[in-house]
Amino acid sequence: MSTFQPWDVRQVDLSVPNGGLTAAPDTGGIHVQLHWKSIPLGQLWLALNELPLTASDFLRRAARAIAPAVGDRLFEHGFRAALPVVGENPARDKPAELGPLLECCQPLAVIERALGQIPVPKTSVSVIVCTRGRPDPLRNCLAALARLDPAADEILVVDNSAEGSARRITDQFPGVMYVSEPQPGLSRARNAGLRQATGTLIAWTDDDVVPHPFWLGAIRRTFADETISAMTGLVLPLALNTAAQVRFERNFGGFNRGYRRLTYDRQFFSEMAGRGVPVWDIGAGANMAFRSSVFAQIGTFDERLGAGAAGCSEDSELWYRMLAKGLTIRYEPLAAVWHGHRAEDDAYGAQMEEYMRGHVAALLVQFEKHRHSGNLRRLLLALPRHYLRRMTLRGGDVDRSTLGREMRGCLRGVCHYLRNRPLRRTSPASAFSP
Amino acid sequence: MLIRRKTRPLAYILHEAPAGTVLTTEVLRSLIAEAAAGKIVEEAIGEELATSPVASAKPSVTAAICTRARTKELARCIGSLLPLQESHGFEILVVDNAPPNQETSALLQKFPTVRYVEEPRPGLDFARNRALAEAGGEWIAFLDDDIVADRWWFDALEDALRENPDAAAITGLVLPLELSTTAQIVFEKRGGFQRGFDPRRYGSVLPGNPVHPCGAGIFGTGSNMAFRRDTLRQLGGFDEALDTGAPLPGGGDLDMFFRIIRAGNILVYEPRFLVFHEHRRDEAALQRQYYTWGLGLMAYVDKHRRADIAYRDRFRRLIRWWFHDQFDRLRSSLRGRHPLPARMVLAEILGGIVGLLGEYGRSRRRIERIRKEFS
Repeated sequence: MSTFQPWDVRQVDLSVPNGGLTAAPDTGGIHVQLHWKSIPLGQLWLALNELPLTASDFLRRAARAIAPAVGDRLFEHGFRAALPVVGENPARDKPAELGPLLECCQPLAVIERALGQIPVPKTSVSVIVCTRGRPDPLRNCLAALARLDPAADEILVVDNSAEGSARRITDQFPGVMYVSEPQPGLSRARNAGLRQATGTLIAWTDDDVVPHPFWLGAIRRTFADETISAMTGLVLPLALNTAAQVRFERNFGGFNRGYRRLTYDRQFFSEMAGRGVPVWDIGAGANMAFRSSVFAQIGTFDERLGAGAAGCSEDSELWYRMLAKGLTIRYEPLAAVWHGHRAEDDAYGAQMEEYMRGHVAALLVQFEKHRHSGNLRRLLLALPRHYLRRMTLRGGDVDRSTLGREMRGCLRGVCHYLRNRPLRRTSPASAFSP
Repeated sequence: MLIRRKTRPLAYILHEAPAGTVLTTEVLRSLIAEAAAGKIVEEAIGEELATSPVASAKPSVTAAICTRARTKELARCIGSLLPLQESHGFEILVVDNAPPNQETSALLQKFPTVRYVEEPRPGLDFARNRALAEAGGEWIAFLDDDIVADRWWFDALEDALRENPDAAAITGLVLPLELSTTAQIVFEKRGGFQRGFDPRRYGSVLPGNPVHPCGAGIFGTGSNMAFRRDTLRQLGGFDEALDTGAPLPGGGDLDMFFRIIRAGNILVYEPRFLVFHEHRRDEAALQRQYYTWGLGLMAYVDKHRRADIAYRDRFRRLIRWWFHDQFDRLRSSLRGRHPLPARMVLAEILGGIVGLLGEYGRSRRRIERIRKEFS
């Protein structure tokens, strides 16, 4: 096997003339994130042997890569992204209409102008950053939060470490509120931040994230739609310096949910309830926001789930509860952040194990709360079938390297749930006072 | 139906309807939107992002038509090129291959701006190499006599050369001139000569294709291809043992595409570089064509798998993949799920087998005799 070469992550603003792409020496290739000014529209993975790229070839590939997202922003029909549902027409889209298509001229400038005309409401937003012993990334995150335009109404750092190491960093940023939650568990930390937050909207990001300057503008605009109760946004890789980072982004798909909007609603939930609703596809806790009124209605994060407890899925379990109540969640890629994926080579396998553990625990928690059999069906039928297929399938395309760890994660998820079953439930809605 | 936006072809729609059907504007609009929505947006974005082209010296071009005793088709082909020649000024060269009579040279009397040369040795690649020796242009575009060049054929070539100054070969889109007979419709449904509507640059690596560049069929087709003349000459021209007419009428274009890329050059596929081809009208001729496709491909493969040790594995994989693919096609054809009748698929498979069984070697001995005869 050849030795790993880091990938070059490059931001390309298509509104600036481009002279083509040349790879720096000793890189594995270029991961190009395509934007038009502050609008993220698509990406390209260019392996070293495809480079250099002439200007015209690059623009052609870029145009092809961003066409779906551009179509989605410009037209009523024909370009909707597919929801993760099993159905005839997962995009719930009608065919494109020729008339508007033919009038399509300077589409990027048109999109920019149309977006510029949408006012950004002045809704108050609290940003909560939960952190645990990662001072350097936290400093970068807080620096980026300070540069947001429009700015946050309040920023809270929840320190989830026993020794309170984040206070020193937080103090360097005037106006940032420090909250201590020494009891380990991301859900506990999220809930601790929530208790202190005063905004109409609550946005969460992680300490290893750098948000786009317009992040809160996109979030405020999304909630201008009264029907939206929660949202997630685009998560792009900050760097692809190690094999684990490249694998996570490229093979696993990272946290990227695409460049087109998606709406998860009651219909989505009911269509998928029998198979286990794929709430994990909705987004990532590194980039999510809620109306604060939602928590009084459905409760807060389940403290058995999340990093430091089951491993993850505290976010998706909350979305499950919301959708089950008939609330609507929007994925809006205009709200973009960059996430520093775990760098250590061993981290990928460990991460997969954590994910499966959290995922399985969340399925059981969801079943416990709602008695929807789809959760059990996924746990007892779909997941075993998936692993059986991956174990027995021939061919080089199947990634088997983390198979053992993933399956161990599943078993540990069951154990985790069983051990924590009698534990206190999420604080009931009545006990929650904002 | 060919869908274009400005001069660019975006999609080709084959829509089956009983005789007498009137396609309403509405149906037409939805057909077009369905087939080309993504491409229309892509084109609009491309236009918005395009930087003003850098003026560069235009290379001189020779359009070479190799023909043999098909004056009707040849006159039509030349007729489509003359207006382009008038507005752009390039050389048109007709190579008359082993003419059985004087009809072609007589026809050429009517076209004073078209050069005529005769190549007595029978075989398409003898004719192509003759064109290569005679051509005055820095670029030489080979056309079959049974095509009609599109109005923007020459503009597309110039644009492609400006956008890809490093290219050694440009291939283009070939669409049907007519779909009058069952054979022609069957051929086009099976994919015809189409290589899609996305321009592409091919170099020594093609991600996701382990047999690249041995599967030379994706690069284009011999009825519409242009090359940098000096590159062709350095490579020694076309292989005269391929494309000899019966019994081995094919493979010369694939062989050249492969050699172009194997030597480290860039090949560009540009769908705007468009011609219309008169497909074989009757089924017997079509069946023969499928046979010769299999034969030509495998003769080319056989030649290189022996000579090119470094790529031998890729050629082996290509052979395995090709037969696998053909038998899949045969199976679905027998179940009535493929537009191509089983005997056509069988003909292609049979051609492939004959091609692998030393046809190339036999052909070399045959052309050696032809060379001696005419020296």
